[in-house]
Amino acid sequence: MSEAPAAAVSVERLTRAFGGVPAVREVSFTVGAGEIHGLCGHNGAGKSTVVKMLSGQLTPDSGRIVIDGQAVQLGSRQAAQRLGIALVDQELSVVPALTVLDNLLLGDVRAPLVNRRRAATTRCRQVLRDMGLDRLHPQQPLSDLSIGERQLVEIARALSQNARLVILDEPTATLSDVETEHVFAAIRRVAAQGCSVIFVSHRLPEVLQLCDTVTVLRDGRKIATTPSRELTVADLIVSMLGEAPRRLTAARSPDPRADHELRVEHLRVPGRLADFSLTAQAGRVYALAGQLGSGASDVLRALAGLHPQATGTVRLRDHAVPFRSPAGAARAGMAFVSNDRKSEGLFLDKTIAANLIATRLPSLARAGMLSSRRARRAASSLAGLAGIPDRRLGEPAAALSGGNQQKVFVSRCLGRGDVYALLLDEPTRGVDIGGRAAVHRLLRAAADAGLIVLFSSTELEELLELSDVIITMREARVVAQYDGGVDGAVLLRDMTHGTHAA
Amino acid sequence: MTAANNDNRSATAAAGAGAGDAFARPAEPGEPAPAAAGRVPRGALAGWRPDPLDIGIVVVVLAVIVAGALTTRFFSLANARAILASSAWVGITAIGATVVMIAGSAVSLAVSQTATVAAMIFFETQQLGLPLAIVLTLLAGVAITALQGAVIGYWAANPIVLTIAAGFAIDGVAIWISGGTTVYPKVTAFNGLNATPLGLPLAVYVLLGLTVLAEWFLRRTTAGRQMYLLGENPAAARAAGLPVARVTVSAWAFFGACIALTGIFLAAFNTIANSSVGGTLSLDAIAAVLVGGTAIGGGKGSAVRTLGGAVLISAISDLLLLRGFSTGIQLLVKGILVLLVVIAVHVRSARGRR
Repeated sequence: MSEAPAAAVSVERLTRAFGGVPAVREVSFTVGAGEIHGLCGHNGAGKSTVVKMLSGQLTPDSGRIVIDGQAVQLGSRQAAQRLGIALVDQELSVVPALTVLDNLLLGDVRAPLVNRRRAATTRCRQVLRDMGLDRLHPQQPLSDLSIGERQLVEIARALSQNARLVILDEPTATLSDVETEHVFAAIRRVAAQGCSVIFVSHRLPEVLQLCDTVTVLRDGRKIATTPSRELTVADLIVSMLGEAPRRLTAARSPDPRADHELRVEHLRVPGRLADFSLTAQAGRVYALAGQLGSGASDVLRALAGLHPQATGTVRLRDHAVPFRSPAGAARAGMAFVSNDRKSEGLFLDKTIAANLIATRLPSLARAGMLSSRRARRAASSLAGLAGIPDRRLGEPAAALSGGNQQKVFVSRCLGRGDVYALLLDEPTRGVDIGGRAAVHRLLRAAADAGLIVLFSSTELEELLELSDVIITMREARVVAQYDGGVDGAVLLRDMTHGTHAA
Repeated sequence: MTAANNDNRSATAAAGAGAGDAFARPAEPGEPAPAAAGRVPRGALAGWRPDPLDIGIVVVVLAVIVAGALTTRFFSLANARAILASSAWVGITAIGATVVMIAGSAVSLAVSQTATVAAMIFFETQQLGLPLAIVLTLLAGVAITALQGAVIGYWAANPIVLTIAAGFAIDGVAIWISGGTTVYPKVTAFNGLNATPLGLPLAVYVLLGLTVLAEWFLRRTTAGRQMYLLGENPAAARAAGLPVARVTVSAWAFFGACIALTGIFLAAFNTIANSSVGGTLSLDAIAAVLVGGTAIGGGKGSAVRTLGGAVLISAISDLLLLRGFSTGIQLLVKGILVLLVVIAVHVRSARGRR
């Protein structure tokens, strides 16, 4: 992009596909020196893929990245860093055991081999002051800090590297308003020094407040690059969703035969969930719509017994649920599907069969002794449910594709007489289209069989397709509850900047 | 060709063992999933990946057999009895340690102390009659060890730190109560335990019985299967609502019974009980479990393999003894053997993770 002399970084016709499915198609945009450039798009629009290509984690299939007029090849994150590109990821990459100072120096390729302690400490104090973190000492271990403060340290690290381009991918998801203000001030400061900034966020008002220009992606394509002063949140939502946002129509009314319900009153998790109440009836699918940090996932984790500090009352089928221990919640009839099936879901080295029956062993045993005939039959019928051929039952679960693993994970909770409520945290995260449809079928069938299904998701299509009732959440609170009659634009508004209901 | 190989193998696995055996078997996915067949195999040998641990064990066993053949008196009935007899005490404890290690609690470093206390209690209760003395000693061992298991299961304590602390505490209480002196039995009802039916010490039969019992328990019972799951992925077991604490406590309770049994046999054999009766039992038991190939991180292993590990260690010590090597060399070889197994297990799991 030679027409703008101030163009510090530009991407030209960037394209990347995964397994033949294009994730980013011919995306071009330019970020000027000192410009703060917003990157918006709904989940799956291709934002992360663009960010990964810009930070050297992925190689583009075609197209190029130009920095200061020179096309560059970014083979790795280190290479990108050497060219002056700093990235703040969604995941924290600071080390709790190290001090604040060590973390600031960590991974800085320009850090001198011999540590010059005094100079580094002085600079560290300056960086911390800029972030509004005067209260921290450079020698404090990071483990003393709150999650928000750690995120700030991570951002400070990226901003202090004198980078030419800083990419911030959802940096404010876990931050409070005050912390966010500090981050914005620091971003504006580095931009004023001529650094280009790419800011990725789901919080649309923040994007408009901070950024000079906004590029919207949809389905891997660039829709528009517009100066943000010409935009409103409503405009952004329309261009993110396209022409006809789908509506939630086929909401089912509660089944009169459904005799049990899940009653959650004033569920609170300190620092994560402010106040959540819900009455959910058997046979219906309830969705919690909320981005990372909205509390949607915390509702599910608290109900599953994985937030021991949660308070409130939970009743299932008129029995109090001891929701401060996972085993207690499970005994009361809850089954939980974590959003992290690798570390908190499947037993990957165990066979598929063993995984399918892992949580129902007592029901397959007599006097504590497992009946291999019943175990075999149960595994086989669950495999049928999950659409996995019987002959694969002896393979380790690790051999399955992500989608099939997820099907095993969900099927594990089904067809049990002692499960009444199914809790699923982002049940189709990292699952291919086919697997997604299969998981949706399983959940719908589970509801039809009389289970209460409660899941969290950030994907509008999934929310509108699968749910009977949608509860939108933002910043640890419920925004609104919809029994049908809602469309994607409203959901997105609630999830990104809606007003609180109560 | 390699892909065909893979398919064959998984097909035979499914047909031969039957899908149901998939859970009965403590899944030993040594090699990366056969389903990797779908992907492009890496190199010509990609289809056949021998388990480095099993190769190592076969090599060591062959070496022992060859060396044994060259050593007079190694292959004799008397020597076989000696090997079994010397593996019995450690073996009994190691079977318990296997269960705990599979369930993800790594190891206990309080074994010697617990066995010592068990020996003392056994002697102190002799006048109540042999059966009652045995029962009381077992109960004491179960109580002491299950308590440690409860702290690990309910409060997620680190087993190593906890059992170091518990070891000192148990030792302290033992010395405090016994006054630091040797305990002599007042009645010698225990002599029956030193019987050698068919030329083998009773402890050997107990070891074999326990191995069968533990193997059956691990494979066939709900609690046993849950131990494998818990050891493999504690976070997943917890999130799934498995009774993590209860399973952990039952593993440790079984371990406690095994340690107490060892204490009883040690007491009966030594006819006295003092603070050194437990000796190096803690580490010997761990060595036997590791040489058997049970994963220190949990989730994999078997009691039968531990029995093999205990016998293999005894056989090697015996061989070195027959060839006139010193105790120092015996210990050194034991150390090297454990090290090799740990490396082999590591290589195996590093492969499996790919």
